[in-house]
Amino acid sequence: MIWGPMIAWYLFLAGASAGAFLTAAFVEAKYPDSNKMRIAGRIIAPVFVGIGLLMLMLDAEAGLMNPLRFFYLISNPGSVMTLGVYFICIYMPVALVVALLEILKKKVPKWLTWIGIVFAFAVAAYTGFLLGVVKTFPLWNNAILPILFVVSALSAGLAATSLVGLVTDREKFEHMWLVKKSHVILSAVELVILFTMLVIVHTGSSAGAATVDSLIAGQYALPFWAGIILLGLVAPFLIEGYPVFITKRVETSTTSLVLSVIGESGVLIGGFLLRLLVVLAALPLVFV
Amino acid sequence: MTGISRRTFLRGTAATAALAAAAGSLSFGAWQAEQAHAAGDAVEEAPSLCNGCSSKCGLVATTVGGRLWTLRGSDVHPYAKGHICGRGHGLAQMAYSDERLTSPMRRTESGEFEPISWDDAFAEIGQKVKEIIAANGPESLAIIQDPRPSGKYYSKRFMNALGSPNVYAHSSSCNLSKESAYTYTIGASNYSTDFGNAKMVMFIGRSYGDGIRPSSVASLAAAAEAGTRIVSVDPRLNNSGIFSDDWVPINPGTDLAFLMAMCNVLIEEDLYDHEFVEQNTVGFEEFAAQAKECTPAWAETITDVPAERIEELARAMAAAAPAASIEAGWRAVIGCAYKNSFDTARAATAVNALLGCWGQKGGALLTSSPKAGKLDDARFDDPPKPEAKAIGAKEYPLALASAGTNVAALEAALDGRLKGMFFYNSNAAKGYAQPKAWTEALGKLDLVVTIDVQMSETALQSDYVLPECTYLERLELPEWIGGKKHFVGMRTRVLEPIHPETKACDEIFNGLAEACGVGEYFQFTAEELAAAQLKTVGVDIETIKKEGTVELADPKFAYGTPTFKTASGKFEFKTDAVGEAGLNPVIGYVERKVTPKVGEFYIVGGKQGIHSHTMTQNIAALNAISRQYNMERLWMSAKDAESLGIADGDTVELSSSEHTGTVAVRVTQRMKPGVLFLPTHYGGDSPYQTRAYQYGVALTDFIPFDAEPGVGSMMSQEVAVTVTKVEA
Amino acid sequence: MARYGMLINTKKCVGCYACRIACQMKNHLEPTEAFIRYEERETGEYPSVYSEIIPLQCQHCEDAPCAAVCPTHATYITDSGVVLVDENKCIGCKYCMAACPYGARIVREETGVVEKCRFCWEDGKPGDPPACVGTCISGARVFGDLDDPASEVSKAIAEYNAQPIAGDLTKSKIFYVR
Repeated sequence: MIWGPMIAWYLFLAGASAGAFLTAAFVEAKYPDSNKMRIAGRIIAPVFVGIGLLMLMLDAEAGLMNPLRFFYLISNPGSVMTLGVYFICIYMPVALVVALLEILKKKVPKWLTWIGIVFAFAVAAYTGFLLGVVKTFPLWNNAILPILFVVSALSAGLAATSLVGLVTDREKFEHMWLVKKSHVILSAVELVILFTMLVIVHTGSSAGAATVDSLIAGQYALPFWAGIILLGLVAPFLIEGYPVFITKRVETSTTSLVLSVIGESGVLIGGFLLRLLVVLAALPLVFV
Repeated sequence: MTGISRRTFLRGTAATAALAAAAGSLSFGAWQAEQAHAAGDAVEEAPSLCNGCSSKCGLVATTVGGRLWTLRGSDVHPYAKGHICGRGHGLAQMAYSDERLTSPMRRTESGEFEPISWDDAFAEIGQKVKEIIAANGPESLAIIQDPRPSGKYYSKRFMNALGSPNVYAHSSSCNLSKESAYTYTIGASNYSTDFGNAKMVMFIGRSYGDGIRPSSVASLAAAAEAGTRIVSVDPRLNNSGIFSDDWVPINPGTDLAFLMAMCNVLIEEDLYDHEFVEQNTVGFEEFAAQAKECTPAWAETITDVPAERIEELARAMAAAAPAASIEAGWRAVIGCAYKNSFDTARAATAVNALLGCWGQKGGALLTSSPKAGKLDDARFDDPPKPEAKAIGAKEYPLALASAGTNVAALEAALDGRLKGMFFYNSNAAKGYAQPKAWTEALGKLDLVVTIDVQMSETALQSDYVLPECTYLERLELPEWIGGKKHFVGMRTRVLEPIHPETKACDEIFNGLAEACGVGEYFQFTAEELAAAQLKTVGVDIETIKKEGTVELADPKFAYGTPTFKTASGKFEFKTDAVGEAGLNPVIGYVERKVTPKVGEFYIVGGKQGIHSHTMTQNIAALNAISRQYNMERLWMSAKDAESLGIADGDTVELSSSEHTGTVAVRVTQRMKPGVLFLPTHYGGDSPYQTRAYQYGVALTDFIPFDAEPGVGSMMSQEVAVTVTKVEA
Repeated sequence: MARYGMLINTKKCVGCYACRIACQMKNHLEPTEAFIRYEERETGEYPSVYSEIIPLQCQHCEDAPCAAVCPTHATYITDSGVVLVDENKCIGCKYCMAACPYGARIVREETGVVEKCRFCWEDGKPGDPPACVGTCISGARVFGDLDDPASEVSKAIAEYNAQPIAGDLTKSKIFYVR
């Protein structure tokens, strides 16, 4: 395989960063007094994307040895990677400034948040398009992958932020119905999108079919079913969905806290495994 | 060495080149070449002859600052014709191998090796040789060598000077049966196919695309393109299959039945060349009587080739005659593989005789070879001819005298007739007959000396290992090349010695001779002898140092029935000497010795284009290809694999009466069911060769120690094996 | 301006790997690094089976996906249509490797730079001929100017009706006889 875990980490962290930024913005708008959640999201955003970029640079060995070459990254606007660099060039400083203002306990101007929101979406989407334009791999080269990555990014950012909220400010967190509802819905939507994508990839080409087979029944079946589907999508859906849609009551028990932590962590693990398997399992089209 | 234009490669210092590259004015490739070598390094060219196989193709090496950069084929050399195969490129890199022998070694009591000086090595070997001669006579010494230009000369001269006639080539594990057989039927050890004019050519087991000589592949490719019907008789669809119109899968070792049936059809249907047979052959009546029994229907039961197919092929060959022939073959079925290899080879020439294609346009050609004239310098006079006959001459009288059979030497080492053995460029203990037998024999000897560039399995079991420099680092004696045209080629010193404690062939033998008390016959260098030899054909050594390969006077080849240099002066369907050796004097059917029983497989070996026996496996560039493409795998037909539940890449246990080993399987449609194919380059046992060590399995380990009657070939495929899947 | 291309005749290729190793030597590659790789195909069933070896390397596409995705413009196309990598611009992100449908690119161990066949480009022009063509023992490779109808390669492509390995996918300039 051409890319490995490093790139999967980058794709995951960049997405989760964007998701966390958006979560923070959402929390700020809907629950202005939930400080801890908002702060968490605003700090996670630059940290995650920062670590992700570090991964990216570690993987780009020639650049690592000659760091000045990274300036060439802006050369080709026709490349999705260059576009991504543009997005990150704006998103990263915005996220940093927002975090800094938050730490200094200063108000973040609305316009800055809006710029951040726009470019957070752009960053989340670009990680999907980065792979999506590569015609060699049917698993990547489809219109659904970017949507899947955006949904998964939102979900992961939400989960990362929620995890902090759960631990530091549980009472307020348990009352954020909108956040919790969005979370459950995102899991359901992601499940449907993933399923749709696999069907489309499977029917499109023999390489695509072989790829999907390796995910659902081959060498990647265990991380796919146990990691992405069960831990990353089904479990969080049930854990969050049950109180939100069935019992409709605020949970306070320790059991529910543990379950929630498992659910949110599951989303994060599933989100990473999704990137990892998409990177690793993709088989190229065969022409010869 | 001659300097060529440096403009392409050199543009001032590396620093300015890097700047220029950054500025886009210097190409990347040039910049990189510049980076790889310090500034100011001279780009030079020098010729040599490849050492990758017995073809010894002419090549031109380009060096940068004295370091090898590229190789290209000599345009003049008839085997290269401007091209070098993968093995050739790879072998050249041996010069820089991290696992070369770099100084003389002595084996200690504990079996470890310790470096010693050349002086000590020569002195100790000389002392032991003198002791052996004093106690057992010079006939108890022998040398085995895989023929190379200097090596074959010095090996023989050294033994003869000591008084021993025991000089052996590698042939008993290569082409001994063929070369011996042809010498009896056509009076030459080989012949060539006139591809340019052929209408039909049949290969018996040989594959130009696997045992590669560049010009032969080119000739075959051109013939195939021109519409020549190419037939490949082989249990495996080999890599020359792309050129073949017909693949005739056959039971291994039954080619003789197939050939006899071809003869049967040609004779019974009166399709043979009466004029040729009547005027140029002996023993036809007896042969025809034996061939009469060998009907296509009979052959079908043995070969598994349908009778109609044999008939059709025979008729087509007859229709195309005389521009149709059986190709000369080289190793395996015709060379050393079976109890009937000698007769298989004779039968192939019989088919050609019936077709009347000897010497004819598009047929099978006997051409001449050049050689050096008489030398007037007394230093070069031969030492006295040893009085005794070489060991093996009595037991295996049919073996070509110039090659001998090293199986006889092995037998003599085992029963105590031999006390000391030398090996030059020969990995006999792994690549020839059963390695266990060699290990036992080498253990019994008082002295074993191996001259090689790497720690082969044979070197590993020697008392002394003498490091030769690689072929690019040494000048050697001229190599004479025959054919329609005559050439002479020579190795020159392309690279300065990389390891100072390695020596060239002539230096080593001169030192050994001096130490053994026969230095009087070695008072010259290879270069001096080369100059003298070349002078006899009017070539200046300085010319050949520059050109590498030079065309000699035109031998004026002409089509027409050739002179057969046999006892009778004619093509021999019957040879009394063969009868005196205990074989059928008439070319006829002989069964192979071992036939697999139910549940067992035939196994055949063969070359891969990038490797030469066990010599090349440890070369990093070649080993990397083997590993990337899983080339060590055992080939099995898809049908057999299915019935045994084996999938491509599965590991199996391969067993014979002699050995069991595990190897991965390549499942393929290219094998005849019931037959396995194992490339014969793998399963190394020398831990000094880390890349080759225990990678794959070696066919020789599985073969019983035995010899073809009368000839002494190793019978490299007379075995049946079983395969069991190893559950993961 | 010439437009360079190649013909590879699989009906003449015996799989001797000479092209791989000659290329390695010429371009100073490590033993495990190769600009040429091989696909082996068996078609049919015993005994009616056809086997072919297909050497693959940079196809020097006119619609080169590698150049399109390269974020630093390290991969570029010369006026004569040869796709090259400027090793001083490459960061080793491997995006080009992912984009290449032919699996023709490798990461150099020593530099981390992604490289590939460059038709032995040197001093502003391709090798005369490239190492793989020069060493090919059976004449399976022909190189030259595709725009010159009289060139050996143009004539060979016409004679054999040679086709790009993946049709018009990337407008590649290596033509195969299969």
